[in-house]
Amino acid sequence: MELETNVVAHAFGSSRLRLANTDVLVAVKIETDVPSVDQPDEGKIEFFVDCSANATPDFEGRGGEELATEISNSLTSAYRSTKAFNLSKLCILKGRKCWKLYVDILLLECGGNLYDAVSLAVKAALWNTEVPRVLSVNLDGNKVEMEVSENVQDCVKLDIVSAPVMVTISKIGEHCVVDPSAAEEQCATASMVVAISQDRFTTVLQSGSGSLHPSTLKESLKLGLEIGSKLDQALIEVLRQRPAKKQVGFLM
Amino acid sequence: MEGKQRSNVKFVFLKCGVVSQAKGSAYFEVDNTKLIVSVYDPREIPKKTDYSSKGELFCIFKYAPFSCPNRRAHQPDADEKQHSAIVKRALESAVCRHEFPNFQVDVYILVLENDGSALSGAITAAGIALAQAGIPMYDTITAATLAIQGTTKLLDPTLEEETLCTVATHKSDTEIDYDSHGIIVLAMLSTHEQISEFYQLGNLDLETLNESVNILMNAAKDIVPLVEKCLVDYVTKTLKSNAES
Amino acid sequence: MAKQFKSLHPTKFYRDYLNHDIRPDGRLISKFRPVIINIGSIATADGSALVRIGKTTVICGIKAELCPPKSERPNEGFLICNVDLPPLCSSKFRPGPPSDLAQITTRFLADLILNSACIDLKDLCIVKEKLVWCLYADIICLDHDGCIIDACLLVLLTALKTVRLPGVEYDAAIDKKTINEDEQKSLSIYNTPVSTTYAMFEDKVITDPTAEEEEISSGLLTIVVKNKELCSIHKPGGSPLSEEKLYDCISETINHADLLITLINTAVAEQND
Repeated sequence: MELETNVVAHAFGSSRLRLANTDVLVAVKIETDVPSVDQPDEGKIEFFVDCSANATPDFEGRGGEELATEISNSLTSAYRSTKAFNLSKLCILKGRKCWKLYVDILLLECGGNLYDAVSLAVKAALWNTEVPRVLSVNLDGNKVEMEVSENVQDCVKLDIVSAPVMVTISKIGEHCVVDPSAAEEQCATASMVVAISQDRFTTVLQSGSGSLHPSTLKESLKLGLEIGSKLDQALIEVLRQRPAKKQVGFLM
Repeated sequence: MEGKQRSNVKFVFLKCGVVSQAKGSAYFEVDNTKLIVSVYDPREIPKKTDYSSKGELFCIFKYAPFSCPNRRAHQPDADEKQHSAIVKRALESAVCRHEFPNFQVDVYILVLENDGSALSGAITAAGIALAQAGIPMYDTITAATLAIQGTTKLLDPTLEEETLCTVATHKSDTEIDYDSHGIIVLAMLSTHEQISEFYQLGNLDLETLNESVNILMNAAKDIVPLVEKCLVDYVTKTLKSNAES
Repeated sequence: MAKQFKSLHPTKFYRDYLNHDIRPDGRLISKFRPVIINIGSIATADGSALVRIGKTTVICGIKAELCPPKSERPNEGFLICNVDLPPLCSSKFRPGPPSDLAQITTRFLADLILNSACIDLKDLCIVKEKLVWCLYADIICLDHDGCIIDACLLVLLTALKTVRLPGVEYDAAIDKKTINEDEQKSLSIYNTPVSTTYAMFEDKVITDPTAEEEEISSGLLTIVVKNKELCSIHKPGGSPLSEEKLYDCISETINHADLLITLINTAVAEQND
């Protein structure tokens, strides 16, 4: 597994992940928006997945649209819980202004196990994201005026310790297999995707048709939880080891 | 909502053969949630050139514009597309796809009024409509929804209860830590004891999940006699009217 | 045996029945199908109705929203109708953008509501130039067995009669709207246009055709009447019709209109009790 962050210069945060034959690029952009009426003190996050035709010839034209919708829907479900990703931190002024994160995911190569790769890349990109610090905000009549720090280095990092990580579990024959390759995915009788955040499940979905016996379901859930937690810890370790950005002036 | 447990399935009304133009159809009502499903004959798969040995299911799940407290647009949005995909996956395991190779069966679901549990109702009703249409199936398929907030577990939640369970709340006023919360939809083929679709939202730990699976399995099994009665009634009625004419 | 004959020679099958002045479903040529109306079944909508003409089933839900009015008509609200013929109701329709029939029906109903002045858009005004009600009437067909325009018109008017709008107070200075749910105002409906459809088959005119009859007919005719007078005629092409036959149809519609209006009023009165 190879992970690189800060690959897209003009995005607020980005990452690129290579997992065997799967290659995913994620970029995060931030804009201000008015919060929704039902949740006035929370920001918004929106996922958009693009299956480029480079990945496999099946994605030519509109072929990849179904898969793209499925993946973005699963990410939306996984991040929906406040415990997984605290959207209230993205609020600037309750009921008036909030940050909206646009997470764009590009699938460069498809080699099986897309959900895992995508969720890891998204988590890394969000870790890498820098939200500009808001110095002051006031309400002038009906308009909101806010002052944002001029200093490019002065930003707030997002708290993604509890962001969910997805694990795909496939049932092949009698066994539950994690991280299936493309060939293994084809011969699986049933497969499911679980999103784990800090020892808890944020979303469970089934991908592909096929039914499971309840005991198989419970076994897969347990397996998913174990592997998911380990994966999460490993990712956070790797991200923490990254050196902080150094300020280098051109005279030095 | 504190400590309330509801482990009995609510009163469900099922009727099949409601749309005269469709091959098979069903109407499902539980509390205030009302939905209607119609199934049409297998037809050729459009835009497909290669031969496939298995039949396809084409599902469209739609909320009527007046079915939710906020008016919905006519275009299908992300929620509706996801629900269509979930219903399709659930039904695929129940239908004998090898019996109609290279054909697709259309299943159209319209929710007339949404007061929670629309997805599980749609799966159950779609199963009945498919059976009435004469599409060969392995087993009766039923589904149930469970909403969890802290220690409270509610079967067949209303829309209000569903919205409450998608929001995380603090364990108590002093603690900052959040409680378990979530919604689980489970679709099951009861005789074969196979779970054909499992969908979970929210934030739950493993034991809560395991317990919920057991509760949902029992709930889904409870609906099976209703489904069977509905189909048997329809067959007896058709036979009687055929005998008379 | 009858079924095979029907699929091989549908026109001859039908003609044989008509020569004995009776139709395959046992009705006489000028007999209408039974009409059933059900009100207020959708709690999430501000007004709703379900109408069944024979097997044709149509449901209408009205949702009210607040919005600013158009600048050229500052004291009028909006009534936006939309007819949806989903693939659910018949195998003739496919998923995707609205079919031609749905668009024609929507347009016809919108024109009819405007021209017959059955509701006054000025009633929907709350504060002139600032705030008006916008009513979205969504009509969905659940089962298409002919006479779709009749059913849609009937269900739209019934649903309009059941609409309950809450009271609204508007403070223009701070742009604040307060909704008073306890105060329920109903819409005043000034007149009730109703319609009937006829199909032309060879030299006979058939009343209230089913979907099969519509398909083999050579032309369709819809007549809308209100207050015992002709309101509108919709004849989309089809074979020509003589003047006397047309007058016969109009008088038949006027007679039938009384029955339909009594039905609507009974249903609404029962709901109010």
